[in-house]
Amino acid sequence: MTEANDRQKHIRNFSIIAHIDHGKSTLADRILEFSDCVEKRDMEEQLLDNMDLERERGITIKARAVRIDYKSPDGEDYILNLIDTPGHVDFNYEVSRSLNACEGALLVVDATQGVEAQTLANAYLAVDANLEIVPVINKIDLPSADIERVRAEVEDVIGIPADGCPAVSAKTGLNIQSVLEAVIKDVPPPSGDSEAPLKCLIFDSVYNSYLGVVVYIRVVDGTLRAGDKIKLMHSGAEFETVEVGVLDPFGLRPTGELSAGEVGYVTASIKSIGDTQVGDTVTHADMPADEALPGFKQVQSMVYAGIYPADGSKYNETKDALEKLRLNDAAFTFEPETSIALGFGFRCGFLGLLHMEIIEERLEREFNLDLITTAPSVIYKITKKNGETVMIDNPTNYPSPDEIEDAFEPVVSASLITPAEYVGGIMDLCQDRRGTFIDMKYIDTERVELHYKLPLNEIIYDFFDALKSRSKGYASLDYELEGYEKSDLVKMDFLLNGEVVDALTFIVHSEKAYPRARKIAEKLKENIPRQLFEIPIQAAIGSKVIARETVKALRKDVLAKCYGGDITRKKKLLEKQKEGKKKMRQLGSVQISPEAFMAVLKLGDE
Amino acid sequence: MRFDFYDKKRLGIYIHIPFCKSKCAYCDFNSALPKNSEIMKNYVSTLISHMESYKDAARDYITDTVFIGGGTPTALPIEELLRLIKAVKKVFGITKGAEFTVEANPATVDYNALKKMKTLGVNRLSFGMQSADNNELKALSRVHTRQDFVNSYRTARKAGFDNINVDVMFGIPYQTYDSLMRTLNFLTKLSPEHISLYSLKIEPGTPFFANRRDVKEVCADEDTEFAMYTSAIEFLAGRGYPQYEISNFSKPGFRCAHNMKYWNCDEYLGFGVSAHSYFNGNRFAFTPDIQKYMAAFEEDYDGGSITSELEAIESRERMGEYIMLRFRLTDGLNTMKFAEMFGISFENLYGSKLTRYLKNGFMVRNNGAYVLTPAGMLVSNYILSDILEFEDLGAYVGNF
Repeated sequence: MTEANDRQKHIRNFSIIAHIDHGKSTLADRILEFSDCVEKRDMEEQLLDNMDLERERGITIKARAVRIDYKSPDGEDYILNLIDTPGHVDFNYEVSRSLNACEGALLVVDATQGVEAQTLANAYLAVDANLEIVPVINKIDLPSADIERVRAEVEDVIGIPADGCPAVSAKTGLNIQSVLEAVIKDVPPPSGDSEAPLKCLIFDSVYNSYLGVVVYIRVVDGTLRAGDKIKLMHSGAEFETVEVGVLDPFGLRPTGELSAGEVGYVTASIKSIGDTQVGDTVTHADMPADEALPGFKQVQSMVYAGIYPADGSKYNETKDALEKLRLNDAAFTFEPETSIALGFGFRCGFLGLLHMEIIEERLEREFNLDLITTAPSVIYKITKKNGETVMIDNPTNYPSPDEIEDAFEPVVSASLITPAEYVGGIMDLCQDRRGTFIDMKYIDTERVELHYKLPLNEIIYDFFDALKSRSKGYASLDYELEGYEKSDLVKMDFLLNGEVVDALTFIVHSEKAYPRARKIAEKLKENIPRQLFEIPIQAAIGSKVIARETVKALRKDVLAKCYGGDITRKKKLLEKQKEGKKKMRQLGSVQISPEAFMAVLKLGDE
Repeated sequence: MRFDFYDKKRLGIYIHIPFCKSKCAYCDFNSALPKNSEIMKNYVSTLISHMESYKDAARDYITDTVFIGGGTPTALPIEELLRLIKAVKKVFGITKGAEFTVEANPATVDYNALKKMKTLGVNRLSFGMQSADNNELKALSRVHTRQDFVNSYRTARKAGFDNINVDVMFGIPYQTYDSLMRTLNFLTKLSPEHISLYSLKIEPGTPFFANRRDVKEVCADEDTEFAMYTSAIEFLAGRGYPQYEISNFSKPGFRCAHNMKYWNCDEYLGFGVSAHSYFNGNRFAFTPDIQKYMAAFEEDYDGGSITSELEAIESRERMGEYIMLRFRLTDGLNTMKFAEMFGISFENLYGSKLTRYLKNGFMVRNNGAYVLTPAGMLVSNYILSDILEFEDLGAYVGNF
């Protein structure tokens, strides 16, 4: 016991949390560098974010952990386990599990920006997880940095002492050691009994084609050794461990065992990441713990959209790509679906809009696929007159009005932080998006925190862009699902040349139906290439047409001279047109460009 | 006795003169304002050397059409133009009765020059009038007026030219339906043998393109253009100029033999910058760079080939070209002739698509041929890009 306590005394498990762009990943890099476990010249910028996309967008998508060996000026050797967290509202649950694997968190606040929506949301998550929070004021090298104001804000708004907290520049490397010393001084060492029945928290997992699933764990109680038979308490699955070890900056290092307080990984020839859900508890199969660690939640998709290959013949390639992505992302789901307009494709479930964008972008970039994505939809709950309750994730399947007793839609509680001058515009926006005002607080003299209850389907519909344009990019948003509320919803169809285009159907609140129908009809008009006949565009609720536009018939293309016998130029022109036509989707007699399907996704600020 | 005349293949010669007195705001053809007459003189010498280098290759051909275009051929000093005309005749041995066209802009010709050209065998002139409305001409930045055109036209008649084409444009700035009709009325009263009517296309790299929004603002809309084109076809037919090609109308017997070669997939050799050829189963073009073109015929030249595009036309491709070109003509595509040429039935290939166009009035069947109607001709790019399959288009056989 004393030996274990001594070992634990030299371990610190901590996370870094921050609002997006406040410098979380850069600080992580400096910490790694400072502790000398990574030679500077070997250092790729932002080692923890090892996906290209993450680096490019400057955000962290999946949690990663790394073990740092650090010799303190007090002469002691410490093991610091840094657990990185995803920095976006879509990944709140994953963040909370990562935080539960720690005893403390560094709360990074930008000295020029101060507390933002995600600073608060993340701080609350850390408080919920009983973590010791160490504020770190970053970017103090910038001319507009105001350390004292931000310090006061952290104390006033979040309510944690910030006097004497580290003030650093992760970019230049200034004062980094003070951060490490604060971690050692303020973050408590882990406790937990190495002899007790095994309990490990899964906070992430990654698929590796040689090892199978690599499960990232924090040992809470007990000791896990290579060769142990383990059981996952929620899924019930059992495996025999192959390898147990720690997470060096450059990869996995087998150690044979991990015990209470330690952070590391385990492999057990696990084929599917779906078996190792974040938040599940690993225990011994033959001597299981009495109860699992608290806080487990089944990951649930909140947003659904159809993903179709732009070129119908690429169906199988698309499927392979989706399967590969799912290997490493348990939160992403898909199943085959067909659309009259788009042919064979997939209904995909995402944690939120960012998650959806990331998946789309990875499909296009890493797998070189050209895709058509339909407008995202939330899950509606419908109680039918026959007593049945159905959950609808595809607007096409929405029941007809005479079958519906009541319709419910998901609502979120949203927190928006904005400079005071934009409050009016943002309140208008929330009002316009059917928001219910809860309250408003001044964070300081310049910034305001607004609370609204908002239907999720209004947030996934172009809300971020609208918020950005109304606040010049300064407002920030955080939200969490609150539940379902009864709502007056209608299904809106679009007809081209009299035929319903199923891929354009969506669900909308009845009050919003008219303006949105008009706007989308206009967008379609702009994006449907003219053909040799007139194409009527109609928006309809049931059989009632509520908006109408017409794509006029093409009457003339170019009649240029075929100069000096330049036949090739003419051929090239025709070939180009032909290429364009190949990308079109044929729907009855009408051809629709991929752009038309995308046009309904982004309408700009209404 | 020699009968090989009848065995010889026929050839058209095109010569490009890339010089103009001023550059029109809509023009993206290869033309430039010459810095001095020395350049023009050297260019003509280059053309002559270039033609001579093809003398052997053209040995098995007889040349029955020549077309000197531009640019503005009559922007050349007259003695240079005459030297060029003489050289063409000498190198390629033009047949008796060959069509020999020179393009001219109004206000760039005088009686003596025309007379000399006529004497040397030039028998057809093509005038770029574009419009009979002075405001429209100004908007196109043409250097001539309506009166300049009338004067030049009369001078040409006086010099003995009995085969004259006049180019007219529609869809140009400030033009209305009525003003186009006035232009056509005015022109048909002068009674040229041939009229070309084509629409303004705003090409990248031109002043019109740079101001395309403003330019389009003062041009007729599409419905008006539709009315202009279809009415013009009717009007010209009524005045004795039946349409024979998308943009071309003539009195009976005066179709342009040279241009017909393009549309019949016949062979032609083009000389000069940017000139295109279809010769011996290959389509090719010469460099658009005048410096490079001229340098290539100097001694110790080592700047590489001046052929900028080369494409061998295989039979599948030729079929696509044939369809594309035949549909420009009011004679249309004869299915018997097609089957004979390609050993395959046109209807079997494209039947279902054709039915739709026949039904919607974009195409008719006429004497065993498929023919685009005026409405079909106006959207011929759309229709052709729907029908055609240029399998290996753009697969150039390298840059020679």
